[in-house]
Amino acid sequence: MLKVTGLVFSFLVSSFSALAGEGDYAVSNISAAMLAKANVVKRMEQISFEVMSNGEAIMRKKYALTILNENGDRQAGFLEFYDKLHDIKNIEGALYDAAGKELKRLKNKQIIDLTGMVESTLIDDSRRKYHNFYHKVYPYTVQYEVEIKYYGTLFFPVWLPREDENFSVEQSSISIISPVNYTVRYKAFNYSGEPALTTDKDKKTQTWQIINLPAIEDEYASPSWYEMNTVVLFAPTDFSIESYRGNMTSWGEFGKFVYSLKQGRDQLPENVKEAVHRIADPIKDPAEKIARLYEYLQKNTRYISIQLGIGGWQPFDAKYVATKAYGDCKALTNYMYSILKEVGITSYYTLVKAGRNANKIITDFPSQQFNHVILSVPLQKDTIWLECTSQTKPAGYLGDFTCDRYALMVDEKGGALVRTPKYGLKQNLQSRRIKATLNAEATLSINAFSKYEGLQQDLYHELIHGLSKDKVKEFLHEELDFATYDISSFEYKENQSATPSVEERLDIVVSNYATITGKRLFIIPNVMTRTHRKLPAVEERKFDLELGFEYNDIDSVEINIPEGYMAESMPQPASVNSQFGKYTSSVKLSGNQLFYYRNLEHYGGRFSASDYPELVKFYEAIYKADRSKVVLVKTETQAPKGF
Amino acid sequence: MRSKLSFLILFFSALLQQAVAQDKVSVKFGSVSEKDFATKIYSIDSNANAVVIADVGSSQIEGNSKGGFSLAYKHYKRVHILNKNGYDIADVSIPLYSNGVDEEKLEKLRAITYNLEGGKVVETKLDVKNNVFKDKINKNLIVNKFTLPNVKEGSIIEFEYSITSDYLTNLQPWEFQGAYPRLWSEYNLSLPVFLGYVTLTQGYQQYDIKTTKSANQSFNILDTRGAGASERYNFTAEVSDGRWVMKNVPALKEESFTSTIDNHISKIEFQLSELRPPAFNYKRVMGSWDQVADELMKSEYFGLQVTKDNGWLKDIISPITKPTDSKTDKARKIFAYVRDNFTCTNRDRRTMDQTLKNLVKTKNGNVAEINLLLTAMLKYVDVTADPVILSTRSNGVTHSVYPLLNQYNYVVCKADIDDKTIYLDASEPNIGFDHLPLRCYNGHARVVNKEAQAIELSSNSITETKTTTIFLINDEKGNLTGSLQQTPGYYESLRLRDRIKEKGNEELQKEIKKAFGSEIVISNFAIDSLNKYDHELGIHYDFDIKDEKEDIIYLNPMFGEGYKENPFKSAERFYPVEMPFAMDETLNLQLEVPQGYTVDELPKSMIVKLNEEEDGMFEYRISQSGQNISLRSRIRFKRAYFLPEEYEILREFFNLIVKKQAEQIVFKKK
Repeated sequence: MLKVTGLVFSFLVSSFSALAGEGDYAVSNISAAMLAKANVVKRMEQISFEVMSNGEAIMRKKYALTILNENGDRQAGFLEFYDKLHDIKNIEGALYDAAGKELKRLKNKQIIDLTGMVESTLIDDSRRKYHNFYHKVYPYTVQYEVEIKYYGTLFFPVWLPREDENFSVEQSSISIISPVNYTVRYKAFNYSGEPALTTDKDKKTQTWQIINLPAIEDEYASPSWYEMNTVVLFAPTDFSIESYRGNMTSWGEFGKFVYSLKQGRDQLPENVKEAVHRIADPIKDPAEKIARLYEYLQKNTRYISIQLGIGGWQPFDAKYVATKAYGDCKALTNYMYSILKEVGITSYYTLVKAGRNANKIITDFPSQQFNHVILSVPLQKDTIWLECTSQTKPAGYLGDFTCDRYALMVDEKGGALVRTPKYGLKQNLQSRRIKATLNAEATLSINAFSKYEGLQQDLYHELIHGLSKDKVKEFLHEELDFATYDISSFEYKENQSATPSVEERLDIVVSNYATITGKRLFIIPNVMTRTHRKLPAVEERKFDLELGFEYNDIDSVEINIPEGYMAESMPQPASVNSQFGKYTSSVKLSGNQLFYYRNLEHYGGRFSASDYPELVKFYEAIYKADRSKVVLVKTETQAPKGF
Repeated sequence: MRSKLSFLILFFSALLQQAVAQDKVSVKFGSVSEKDFATKIYSIDSNANAVVIADVGSSQIEGNSKGGFSLAYKHYKRVHILNKNGYDIADVSIPLYSNGVDEEKLEKLRAITYNLEGGKVVETKLDVKNNVFKDKINKNLIVNKFTLPNVKEGSIIEFEYSITSDYLTNLQPWEFQGAYPRLWSEYNLSLPVFLGYVTLTQGYQQYDIKTTKSANQSFNILDTRGAGASERYNFTAEVSDGRWVMKNVPALKEESFTSTIDNHISKIEFQLSELRPPAFNYKRVMGSWDQVADELMKSEYFGLQVTKDNGWLKDIISPITKPTDSKTDKARKIFAYVRDNFTCTNRDRRTMDQTLKNLVKTKNGNVAEINLLLTAMLKYVDVTADPVILSTRSNGVTHSVYPLLNQYNYVVCKADIDDKTIYLDASEPNIGFDHLPLRCYNGHARVVNKEAQAIELSSNSITETKTTTIFLINDEKGNLTGSLQQTPGYYESLRLRDRIKEKGNEELQKEIKKAFGSEIVISNFAIDSLNKYDHELGIHYDFDIKDEKEDIIYLNPMFGEGYKENPFKSAERFYPVEMPFAMDETLNLQLEVPQGYTVDELPKSMIVKLNEEEDGMFEYRISQSGQNISLRSRIRFKRAYFLPEEYEILREFFNLIVKKQAEQIVFKKK
């Protein structure tokens, strides 16, 4: 057994040296399989990550990419971020032509140094180093080499050989080097076999390698990236960052570390203590207390992102937030935690991977997979969740940024995974009632009442809290699906609760909503809820479908039409039943009134790749039914004939 | 009678009060009282999330210790934050320029938040030492950032600071208008007579106060740079104090079809034109266009690179052109070479940051470098070529009278071959010979040569012409089958080329298929002229309509090509409409009546004119002759720029187009 491993390794080593030296990057050496659907071919990649005993590490990376065409250009540049905890030591690069002949070498003064900050952040210490040969004769190959020093071992690298769609890989490997008595943990996806292991004195090396990974193309609603690619995640056992130490072998242990960063940071100044007691003491019901104190937080703080060094992981203390009246998610959550603690309510600092379509965290691989912090407050019956960076959300409601996923709840005893609330079909409801009148000039006057609930109200919540009344009007003027229209009045009312809702009343006048020709009148009875979703038919779907949250839209419409028309063509009632949902719609004419009814139940969750054609059909049937027209003709008048 | 009188008196005293109270800004740093919090809704804008109570700036010239003059800029601002959506005004960014040696200096920064707590004003000061952060964006730009502490709904915030700058060309401009309404916006400028600046103002707001006074000021200059003892100069010079005040300035709102909101904001800016300090040599900084062009042509960072003997270009040019090529062919080949081999990394630059030789090595550069290389190469093969400086649409319009170089952010190339003038931009990857990107069509531009000729690149002068032809006949089985041929306009072709490059031809086809749905089957899809960048694309495909043989067929003869939405959404308009080009769109349809059906109803033909001058015209002609129906739908705009007064008819015009193009042909079974 040992022998075999040794053999494999020596093979690997020799293949590295062949590829990693002044190798032959001639494009003619690339196989047809690697060229198929590819804009970029990774010719070689060799990463080594060495963990030192003192909580420091060095990553060395060398790779070569052949850029086949213009679409590959965006991969051709070199980009690395650095900050107080990461230092870029050395960058080298070279450019080769299609025959593999070296054209140029990178000169250090050509490397650009730029801020790495994003707009929403006030300040952080992230910076970027960037280089590009800007070659435009295709194909060409770039080779880069970089060394990065890690101060702190909270994060280990991720091995993701295929970095993008239309990107194939001839060869890539990663070696993890550590002291013999130190275990580096890993989790592999789409990698068969075990890593090759060698030991040299007091160091051991584990190596993963892959050859000939063909290019793939992105698909609609595809699952998490690690399901579609060869990926190995690495994480420490014991680690340290600045003066803090921790262990990551279980969620419990990792939770202890997270707690240690915030421990003792919950001292409130006297004036805040008084204010908090003034609010909470007269109230008996704990849920009510929490809601009122959350309001106090919302009124007295705002979100400002400041991330410097360990400050990227450690919250500012409660006193800081109290005097500045601002903080980031960590600081504000810790502040709310401190406020609740002051009145004897236990709450939990909870790490979560936030984002509307964020990849799920890997639950059996304890590691720092989170990017946000919220607060959970368990009560006897259920748990109240608080998004402490929001100044407007009702207590207990999370929204699609953090709902329905695993999160890490921490306290002094450690951490545990918990599930955030899920909002279902009946909670994510949009119900709309329309009364409208069409005049002889084909102008439609609409009175629409809509109620948005659960996740369907998120947009409207943002609209009414994030925009002034003028801007809301502007939004409505731009966004409604009519050709030419004016909003004569609009009104929103919000019901704040753990599953909040927004009621909307609109008066709209639409010019030429219907088409009136000599004797006919064409009108679409589905006035405001027409889907725009259409999917392209694809020959072969590779990966499963991962659809978003489930929801239900219910519409009823009543339209008064001018006198003197009768039905010529009425759409047949539509009814579609599929594993993706149910859709029904129907219309009838009674006197000079049209009555339309529509119900769409759209399910969420995971579906097999082979079901994709059915989803295409499902959406197309809805698209078509939503636009089906009623055609009316003038009833025969006593107009003299024979002219 | 009595009541009337008292009303009159009241009225007068109110006027008087106003006149007295409103000559000077009524607030100053550090003095905020309870009554300043009283107003919760300001009459200027009942929807405002925050209101700027005062925004006051001043600039003056001072002698420095480097043997020259510095600009001293002061800025004071007070804001009443009314609700959470106004919190972003509490985040302040102050950009400072540096050339690597001399840095602009931020000094005397103070900031305070005031809250009314229990009827008392509570102050929270910004901790300047620990909470002002520097973000080095690049080597020339450092942004100082801070946010005010303890901001709540109803807070009043105040800050003030000074900037000292050795860059006399960086005299701070002043924007009287911004994202929030301003009750008082004021700029003071004190300039000695020995410095000349040209003043530019724009916007639709009137000044409430605009005064100029003269006074004397003493200047002290110290020169400590030399090796010996420092030299000192003292003198008195006349200065002119200008003051501009605007009151109750509404917030600025961006509307669609606007090149840039910067064209409409009320602001004042300055450009250094003359330096003539006493005891120093007179230096004219800004001259006439002739002089400016001449200086530009001599500048190391602009024309010198083009006019000097560039013998080294031979190595690049000889492999790509033949000596026997005509001038036009040479120019075409050189243009294609520069366009296809260099990457433009900055499209907002008027001067070079590297030499042409270096550009050829690094293969990337700013728009000025790339088009100056093109110019130099054309000159090398004896093609008459000159650089042209301009301001892109998003950068705002330029003034043709003053040579204010700061307004220009882009360089293209003008070539004259065989009595024909050709404009070239090799920085744009897919653009053709003698075409400029839309961003360049922004009015006045200036040729940089001896004549310094002004040219006009007007969006009215370009017409986007699109033609679509559709044929539909019955096949043997009685199903409708047809073909579509389309030539999009040049700029639509450019956009499609960019997209096809990014996503591939199939993606476009997929999208067209998706739009038609499964009832129309598309075949023989092809795109012509994909790599002929000088020409429009040609798109064509065949299609078959799956027949359902219903009793009545309703058919929209526009086949998805018509306008389904009015591009002019909002009911009213405050600024001119700046469309990117004039246009001429035609659809021709020849349709055979489906077998076994007769025409029951046909839309009526119509012609609509936008105005008497026919600046806009919509034509919809449909007719039947035997079994054939023909339709011609054409929309034509002679110009791209429309005044706000024309907005209503423009909107109504499109309303008619949408309405007409939605109409259907009705066929009935025989």
